[in-house]
Amino acid sequence: MSALYIIAVGLGSAFVLGMLNERQKNLGYVITLAALTVMSAISAQWLIIFAATGAHPIDIFTAGTQPPFAINLRMGVIESALTLLISLTGLLSAIHMGNALVARGRRAMAVLVIAIMALCGIVLTRDIFNLFVFFELIVIATGGMVLLSDDERAVSAGFKYLIVSQFISVLLLIGIIFAYHATGTLNIDGMAEQGASAFALAFFLMFIAVIAELKPFPANGWALDIYESSHPGFSAIFSAATGTAVLFAVDKLLLIGGAEWFPVASGVGIVTFVGANLLALPQTNDRRLLGYSSIAQTGLILTVLGQQDILGQNYLFIAGGLLLAHAVAKAGLYWLSDLVASRQLTAWAALKERPLLVFAFVTFVAMLCGLPPFPGFYAKWELAHALAAEGRMAMLALILFGALLEAGYLFRWFGYLIKRESDEKVVCSATQAIPVFAAVIAGWVLGFVWGELSVTRFGLNNLLLTLPLLFALSFLLIEWAPAWLKNTVAIGGMVAFFVMTYAEYDPLRLIFAVIFLIGGAITLLASYSAHGRRVGFYPAAMLMYAGMIMLIRTTDSFGFFAAWELLTVGSYFLILRGKESEPHALSYILFSLGGAFLILAGFALAASAVPPAPTFSLANLAALTAPVAPWVFVLLAVGFMTKTAAIGVHIWLPGAHAEAETDVSPMVSGILLKAGLYGLFVLLMAMGKQQLFGIELTHALLWIAALTALLGNLMAIFQEDGKRLLAYSSIGQMGYAVFGLALMNHLGWLMALMFVINHYIYKAMLFLSVGGVAKRTGTRDMYKMGGLITLMPLSFIATLIGIIAVSGVPPLSGFGGRWIFYNAIMTSDVRMPMVILFLAGPIAFLYLFRLIYTIFLGQLKDEFRRVKEAPFWIVLPQMIYVALLMIFAVFPGIALRRVDEYLNQFFPEGGLGWSGNEITSAYGYWNPVSIMIIICVIFGVLLAWLMFVDRKAQKVKQFNIVFSAEAPYRPETTHFAWNFFAPYRKALGFLVLPLATMFWGTITGLLHTGADIARRFYTGNGQTYAFHFLLFVIVAYAIRIGF
Amino acid sequence: MAHLAMATGFLLILIGAWGALTNRNLLRMIVAFTIADTGVNLVIIAVGYMRGRTAPIIDGAVSAADAVTRIIDPVPQALVLTAIVIGVGVTALMLAYTYRLFEKKRSLDIRDYTDLKG
Amino acid sequence: MSFDWMKIPYSLLTLFIVVNYGFLLNALIQKIGARVGRRHGIPIWQNYVDMIKNYGLRSSITHGVMFYLGPVFRLSGGVGLLLFVPTIYGSYMFSNLSFAGDLILALYFVFFGTLGMALGAGESGHPHAAIGITRGLSQMTAAELPFGLAVFSVALQYQTLSVTEIVAAQQGGILNWTLFTNPLAVTAAMLGFLGSMMRPPFDVVLAPQEIPIGPPTEYHSSYLALMQTNRAIFPVAKIVIYMNLFFGGADDWLTFCFKVFLIYLWSAFVGVVFPRFRVEQSIRWFLVWAVPLGVLSIVVV
Repeated sequence: MSALYIIAVGLGSAFVLGMLNERQKNLGYVITLAALTVMSAISAQWLIIFAATGAHPIDIFTAGTQPPFAINLRMGVIESALTLLISLTGLLSAIHMGNALVARGRRAMAVLVIAIMALCGIVLTRDIFNLFVFFELIVIATGGMVLLSDDERAVSAGFKYLIVSQFISVLLLIGIIFAYHATGTLNIDGMAEQGASAFALAFFLMFIAVIAELKPFPANGWALDIYESSHPGFSAIFSAATGTAVLFAVDKLLLIGGAEWFPVASGVGIVTFVGANLLALPQTNDRRLLGYSSIAQTGLILTVLGQQDILGQNYLFIAGGLLLAHAVAKAGLYWLSDLVASRQLTAWAALKERPLLVFAFVTFVAMLCGLPPFPGFYAKWELAHALAAEGRMAMLALILFGALLEAGYLFRWFGYLIKRESDEKVVCSATQAIPVFAAVIAGWVLGFVWGELSVTRFGLNNLLLTLPLLFALSFLLIEWAPAWLKNTVAIGGMVAFFVMTYAEYDPLRLIFAVIFLIGGAITLLASYSAHGRRVGFYPAAMLMYAGMIMLIRTTDSFGFFAAWELLTVGSYFLILRGKESEPHALSYILFSLGGAFLILAGFALAASAVPPAPTFSLANLAALTAPVAPWVFVLLAVGFMTKTAAIGVHIWLPGAHAEAETDVSPMVSGILLKAGLYGLFVLLMAMGKQQLFGIELTHALLWIAALTALLGNLMAIFQEDGKRLLAYSSIGQMGYAVFGLALMNHLGWLMALMFVINHYIYKAMLFLSVGGVAKRTGTRDMYKMGGLITLMPLSFIATLIGIIAVSGVPPLSGFGGRWIFYNAIMTSDVRMPMVILFLAGPIAFLYLFRLIYTIFLGQLKDEFRRVKEAPFWIVLPQMIYVALLMIFAVFPGIALRRVDEYLNQFFPEGGLGWSGNEITSAYGYWNPVSIMIIICVIFGVLLAWLMFVDRKAQKVKQFNIVFSAEAPYRPETTHFAWNFFAPYRKALGFLVLPLATMFWGTITGLLHTGADIARRFYTGNGQTYAFHFLLFVIVAYAIRIGF
Repeated sequence: MAHLAMATGFLLILIGAWGALTNRNLLRMIVAFTIADTGVNLVIIAVGYMRGRTAPIIDGAVSAADAVTRIIDPVPQALVLTAIVIGVGVTALMLAYTYRLFEKKRSLDIRDYTDLKG
Repeated sequence: MSFDWMKIPYSLLTLFIVVNYGFLLNALIQKIGARVGRRHGIPIWQNYVDMIKNYGLRSSITHGVMFYLGPVFRLSGGVGLLLFVPTIYGSYMFSNLSFAGDLILALYFVFFGTLGMALGAGESGHPHAAIGITRGLSQMTAAELPFGLAVFSVALQYQTLSVTEIVAAQQGGILNWTLFTNPLAVTAAMLGFLGSMMRPPFDVVLAPQEIPIGPPTEYHSSYLALMQTNRAIFPVAKIVIYMNLFFGGADDWLTFCFKVFLIYLWSAFVGVVFPRFRVEQSIRWFLVWAVPLGVLSIVVV
């Protein structure tokens, strides 16, 4: 059917509706739906034709005459996609607004149909005046649709909108008439042939008028009021459909204007993107926030329109990906907002009882943030590479900054949804559910389509076809099953995948694969202790593991980045599950996304120097040369170090790891942190030493790592919360590992691997035992515990073994790490950072002793006298870890020997010698088996002696101690635990001032304050908004002249 | 003539814009917008005008054959017609809005309608 | 180097000599301290008497498993430390069990006893024990630092981590001793040494003059006997490391006794002159006076 029928059906049905009897409301509604369905069907039919055959666009002539003497419409693949998007949005919104439409009657329905028709008209028409007419139709239709709302304030919002629209149409008309005067045609293609230079001012007026319809920052107060107050069904159209149509109109105008107008579009777009996202930060009203977000997203796409000179063939892929992701997600969120009774963001907590709706929300937020596997992700990747290839790093930086702001408020919102309380009930009727889930399905389908496109166009990877991700997503389908069943499936899947792929890893990656898959499976044993269905846990956990395993299996930059984002998102959902973890999960995701953006920028920059873009083999990083290479190094290294929590970007870790659930903490600490280390391994393997401004970057890394180790350890000793103590300890341990890597010699890397293995085992074990204790006692404050050794002996043993291993005391495996460390630094020529690391070493004893003493030793409290040992499934993995630790302590060669050989290709010198049980280096030697035997023999003999001479020792009661000739009776006053290292704080407390926290706090504070000040310009007065608009036009023109 | 008409048109636009930005009264703002609209229409007409030609009506006086050389450009006039119609529509809508607003708050001052902001 | 069964009796011989020497040395040093304070002091065999008394005590209580194991850990730490380092240079007989590991092993094994002891004392539930431990650990982190730096400086200087090789490099005259080839490191180490000998001004951990305080508060009878044995072995074992690293080691037992005595005397010498520091004061003292020397020794070497 000809595309003209889209217009015809729209107009015709509006007429029919107008002629209906006032009481035939249901009939009217049926006609409305039918009309919109037909319009969608026509668009869909054309989309299929164009997509399948790749045919050229078809021109449709009217009035029996060729242009320029008559209006012509054009239907091509883009037009059909956009009209489909618009009319489907209209249809779904009509379904969504069913009650309101039927209540208001046929006129409202006619207005809706006209609005959709006009939006399609904007897309289809090739005539500039016709464009104006459709714009005016939309203004009038919008004016009508706004009144559908129950919100009284919508009336004033509509009036403000009309005021500004009047100004816009004056500018547009004047522009059109002078453009016509200059070119003698109203046909867009005709004007484009002549170029806009002859009528620059007239073009400017048209252009700025159309751009103004995109609600550019800061001239957009009127639009926000509409977003906030009108019916969410209409806001969905206003955001998704109107935005789409106007963007396409801008694209048409750019056809006339040519390349010299691209900077204007880019400039307005990027200011809008960053500005609107900034202003969205302090918003508390959900729909207004979505309005800001809509404006920001349109700004981003406008920026892309302005960058089309460098995007070439990828222009549509990028702009389309961003546009569809935005439209689908935003429409979905507006429809969803109707289910929430109150308008505060926190009221969305009402949704959390409905997993399907939460899933819908997650889908939409992920789409908006450009997370894999949605279209925005592929588009973001391509865009970053195109920008970097042309050296537009400033633009890339602004885009990424804006995206981070957006992620900030969206994920904060998601945090509210999951963690806040709401006593409102969510009632979800079928008519409200259909549009929302249609959008969800559309989102996933589009993700698949963009994945396929990325394969055929760029040779990237369709993430939705990768086995680990599919495995993770399949848990969404079995969410109804009990937790133990899902746990079994998860463990089985991970082990099976390891067995399947075992042979594919080189020795280095094998270590990581074992930790991620087998280690992950062992940790999951603890999850058997959970009851019920545990909705949301398994998809998140498996997403994280899928990301991690994809990370080590991929060889190209795209796969690496995609895996990185997946594991970040998965772990975020996991961390968010903790009781008090809302702010910490937010800070985790923000630091992680910030780091991911740096990685993206790094890869994009690297790809600009080592073709082939848009994805290159990671090994090609080695081919980079100055001046690009050091910058790539810095971007990637800082990105990876946000995951290893290097000092300065560490502030997310303590809260995130401490507040996570008992079985999640070992995953995110013992396993997840290794992803960052793996990234650094990959980076250093390929790039090695780099210099920037004469600074050896690996030396800078050494300093950062040493300070991380020192300050992480120092902060750990002052914690009262057991899990926080362990979390800070992780920061310190990661400092050691990064230090080893940055040493850039054979043993340094071996030491880093030693820490990778060790830290996984003992930190997972310690988190489980402390978590088990916290579970039983109901507190994580260690000073409230004490004397639990007899009640929880197995947890005590695990902790004891754990702290001996962490401290590096022989005979356990921590010593191996220290021994390799000393041998590694013997060959290094940088000495000062080592001094810091020396200082950090003994400090570990302080927090380790505190951990075990204040929990298990000392005085047992009355309220805990009946505490039982931790649940079996939490103890079992601990015992496995104890065994692993012992084996690794005695036979480190099992894991290290092959890697030692493997590292020879990077550092041929300085490897270890493995003769029998003895391990030798160029400087010293070490025999773990002998050490273990000797110590055990000495210990055993002395113990036997003591048991012989002291065989009649009598066990006494708790308070039977020499206490200044008194018997204490209150355990609380006798258990010395709170502020345990007071003297240490007096001496060195100044080192642990929370400077990093203050720094980041100040930055977010400034952003919020700035946004709050900017908000004051949005006075709510329609005249002020009109004034804003005129000012915007004048400033834009002034800047334009200045070009 | 054409220049005079165009100058008048722009003057009307400016008057209208000034009026819309300075008058607090909703009705006065609407009037200001109609003045601006008129100005725009005048400008369009002035742009299409050609000295010494006749109206673009093909009848006995002007035959279809020599219309190209004898009539003024008909397109702007057609545009004006459309613009007027649209202008009327928008004005009517604004008046309807004003009525609703007045019903609600008994005020015609735009400053009273700032419930939504920030 | 590797294991053979003869090492066991030889090591026991070393142990026997050191225990006896340690008993006598401890008493001697205490007596010297007393004499400086114009007191008569204990008889030289006092430690043997104490041992017999402690083993002979009939009352014996325990606060739990860790409490019971504490002294075992403590003494194992001392014995192990002694045996992981060759006592007499060039002697197969007294090379002990040093085949198991190098200097780093000894360095880290120092903490074995400390940690175990702290855990044992912790289970006694006595707050004084816990306070003593926090003080001890806090002070240790600062006091071990100059020593660690000096050790690393020496390892860099001789390019080896093997104790035997370090001693070998110092043979051939007193001027070859690290004391003269790397005075900065030795100075730093000797300042750090003061912090680990539990004598003034760094003895607030045990505070031996006041009411019972510190980790051993609750220990008595055979536990105390074990710990007392360790108190004889541990300082000597530690001094052996100092002697080997900085003072040319010992070729025979006579040199050994002499050097150990002199090094021990250094801490007694300082101890009788200075009053006691609080913990935070001693931490600052080590960081301000001893650590910079250690850093300098690393940079210069």
